[in-house]
Amino acid sequence: MSSLRLARLQEERKSWRKDHPFGFFAKPAKNPDGSMNLQSWTAGIPGKPNTLWADGVYPISITFPDDYPSKPPKVKFPANFYHPNVYPSGTICLSILNEEQDWRPAITLKQIVLGIQELLGSPNPDSPAQEPAWRAFGKDRATYDKKVKEQAQKYIK
Amino acid sequence: MGKDSQLQAVLGKDVLTKVRAAKVLLVGAGGIGCELLKDLVLMGYGEIHVVDLDTIDLSNLNRQFLFRHKDIKKPKASTAVAAVETFNFHNSKLVSYMANIMDTKQFPLSWFDQFNFIFNALDNIAARSYVNKMCLFLKKPSIESGTTGFNGQVTPIFPYQTECYECTVKETPKTYPVCTIRSTPSQPVHCVTWAKNYLFGQLFGEDEETSPTDFGTDNQDEIKNMVSEQNELKELKNLATKDDFFESVIDKIFIKDINKLLALEELWKTRKRPIPLAWDSSVKDKIEAITDSDVARGQDVWPIEKYIFLLMRSIKELQQRLADGETDLEFDKDDEVTLDFVVAATNIRSHMFHIPLKSKFDIKQIAGNIIPAIATTNSIISGFSALASLQMFTPNPREGAKMVYTFQDATRFVSTSSVVESNRKCKSCSIPRGVLKINLSHPEIVLGDVVDALVKGFKYGHDEIALILGKDRLIYDVDFDDNKDKKLADIGFQAGEVLLVNDENDEKATVELYIEAMDSGKIEVPNMELPDAPEKEATEEQEDEKEDDDVLQAISDDAPIIIDEEEEAEEASKKHKLDEIDEHETTTSKKQKTSEGQDHVLIE
Ligand SMILES: [Zn+2]
Repeated sequence: MSSLRLARLQEERKSWRKDHPFGFFAKPAKNPDGSMNLQSWTAGIPGKPNTLWADGVYPISITFPDDYPSKPPKVKFPANFYHPNVYPSGTICLSILNEEQDWRPAITLKQIVLGIQELLGSPNPDSPAQEPAWRAFGKDRATYDKKVKEQAQKYIK
Repeated sequence: MGKDSQLQAVLGKDVLTKVRAAKVLLVGAGGIGCELLKDLVLMGYGEIHVVDLDTIDLSNLNRQFLFRHKDIKKPKASTAVAAVETFNFHNSKLVSYMANIMDTKQFPLSWFDQFNFIFNALDNIAARSYVNKMCLFLKKPSIESGTTGFNGQVTPIFPYQTECYECTVKETPKTYPVCTIRSTPSQPVHCVTWAKNYLFGQLFGEDEETSPTDFGTDNQDEIKNMVSEQNELKELKNLATKDDFFESVIDKIFIKDINKLLALEELWKTRKRPIPLAWDSSVKDKIEAITDSDVARGQDVWPIEKYIFLLMRSIKELQQRLADGETDLEFDKDDEVTLDFVVAATNIRSHMFHIPLKSKFDIKQIAGNIIPAIATTNSIISGFSALASLQMFTPNPREGAKMVYTFQDATRFVSTSSVVESNRKCKSCSIPRGVLKINLSHPEIVLGDVVDALVKGFKYGHDEIALILGKDRLIYDVDFDDNKDKKLADIGFQAGEVLLVNDENDEKATVELYIEAMDSGKIEVPNMELPDAPEKEATEEQEDEKEDDDVLQAISDDAPIIIDEEEEAEEASKKHKLDEIDEHETTTSKKQKTSEGQDHVLIE
C-alpha cells in the first residue's frame, strides 16, 4: 500500500523499457480487468552462451512484497527446476534475494535477473537447496550435465 | 458557580471557548482510548466521535476501566460512550461507531475532514498508517499515542511539516541463526521459534520453504543434514492424511532427526548432547492414562508425558481440519489448537535438549510476542495526549509542540522533546497528495479523459505519465495505453480508491490522489503546484554500473556488497527514535532519545 513502493516498481518498469540486457524479458502480469499487476511479474532468463544452459530461456516469476524495497522480491523458477540452488518449489537461493544477506533496497530488477543468469552456470555448492542437482553437481558431473541439457531443451529459445 | 468555571480558571476563557467548539475524532476505545475519552469529556470538548472495531473481551477489563463484566461482547465504542455519559458534565456531544476506520464507504476522506484534529489511540500498525495517510491527504493535525509495557509516547503530527507516523523506521523482531533453531537450540525461545515458524509451517502450512541461504554455520555436514531433514519433512507432510501420522511425527522429528544430529560429532564437542525422546511401552501407557482435564491448567509446567499427549491431541485436530478441506493452516496464538501444537512441540524439544520447559501461558507470550499492557502507562500517556491537544488552540500549534515519552529504564520516567521535521525519505510524507474529484456516474468519461485532465491540470508539458490505481494495478503508461478508451468503472475507478500519478520524465514529483465522487461536471484536478521530482544522485549512472559489478561479485564470492554506506550510516543514526510503539505487538526495546534540544520533566 506504500506509494513509494509503487513509484519504485513503475521506475523499474521504466528503466527496463529504456535498457535491459539482451535476450531477457520482464513484465507485470495482466489482470482480468485489463490492468497490469505491478506486484507480480514474469521474466525470462536466457542461459549464458557457451554454457550448459545456453539453449534455454528460463521462466521466472517475481513477486514484490508489500514492504518492497525494504524486503526483497520473491523469485521462483517453475517447481522442480533442476539446479543445486533452487528449492523443489522453485524458490531461488541467492544471497542478493535474501533479506538477511545481501539484499539492499537499491538492487534493481536488472541486477536481479543478471544475478540469476550468473547463478545458472555457476552454482554455489555451499548453499544446497535440493538434493538431486546438488548431489549430482558435487559427485556425478556427467549426470548433472545431461540433466541440465535436457532441461534446456524443455525451455528452448 | 457555573459548571465551566473551574475549567475556565485552568484553561482561560479563550481556550475554553475553542475547546467547547471543537469537534474531534478519537480512533480506538481500548487501553488508551478509554482513558483519553474520559479526559476529553472532562475537558469539555464540544463533540467527540469514537471509532472502534472491537467488542469487549474479559482480558480488557483489568485496564479498560470504562468496561464492566456485564459489558463483555458489547461494542467498545458505544459502551465507552455510555459509560462517560454519567460524568458528561459539560454536555459534550458523543458519537460512537463500531466500525473499521479503514472502511472507505463509511468513512470517506470527506468524513475525516469534519474534525479539527484527530486523536490516534490504536493498537495496530495498519490502521495507524491508514489514519496517518488520511491526515496527510487533508493536511490535518493528529496526536498519535502508544504504549509498550512501561514505555509510551505521544507525538503531535503536523502533516508535511513534522515527523509523521511513518517517518521513523520500524524495527523488525529479532531473528536467530538457522542452525541455532534447527540443530543447536539452547533457550526456550529457540524451541518456540522452531515449533512455530518451522515445524508447524512445514507440517500444516503453505507448501513453501523457509529458504535459508545462510544457515549460520560453516559445518558442511550440519548444513547437509538440515537440507535432507527438510526434504524428509516434505515427505512426512504427505502422510498427514494417515491415521498414524502422530506416530510418524514422533518417530521422525523427535527420534530419527535427533539421532542424525547426534552423529554430527563436531556439534557436541562444546554442547551437551540431546537425548532422543523415549518412546516405549511405559511412556505409551502413561499417555494412555492422561485425559483432557490433565492438560487444562496452562499456568503450570507439566511432566513431559502430558506434552506428548497434547501433541497427539492437537495433531489429530489439525489433521481433521485438513480433512475438512482447510489448507495452509496458520499459527495463531488465540487459536487454541495451533497453540497447543506449538506448546507441545516446544516443550518436547526443550526436554530433549536439556532446556527448561515453559508453561503454556509463557509460551503463548513468547510465540505471540506479547508485551503486557499496563494501565498506569496508558493513563499517563492519555493524560499527556489530552494536554498536547491544548497546543492545537494556540495561534501557531506547530511552534512549541512537544513529543512526550515515558521510559522504564531511564533516570527520569518522563521526557519531552520538540517535534522533529518530517523525514524527506519517508515513504508516506515525501509524496504530495490531493483529492481528484470525478463524476463517476457520467456515462461518457473514459480513462483517456482522466489522463488529459491530469496532464493539463498538473502542467506536465508532455503526456508521458503512468497511472497506478489502488494497491498495485498499473492502468496506463507510455508503453501501455490499451485502456485509454475504457469507461472508468470498467477499469476499477471508484470513490475511496487512491490513484498514483508518476511523471515518466522524472520532472515533477509523483503525486497521490484520493478519488472522490462528485455529482456534476466531469473531472476536477486538485489545484496544487507539483514540486519537482526529488533530485537523483548526480553520479547515479556511474554508480549503477558499479552496483551491477558489485552484485555480480557478491554472487560469485559471497562478499557483502555495500552500495551506499552513507545511507546506512544515516539509518543507524535514526535508531535513536522511538520506533514502533504499540500497545500489544512489539517486542523491540526502545532507546531513549538523546539528541539536542531535549528537556526533561521529572515526575515526583
Ligand atoms: Zn513521514
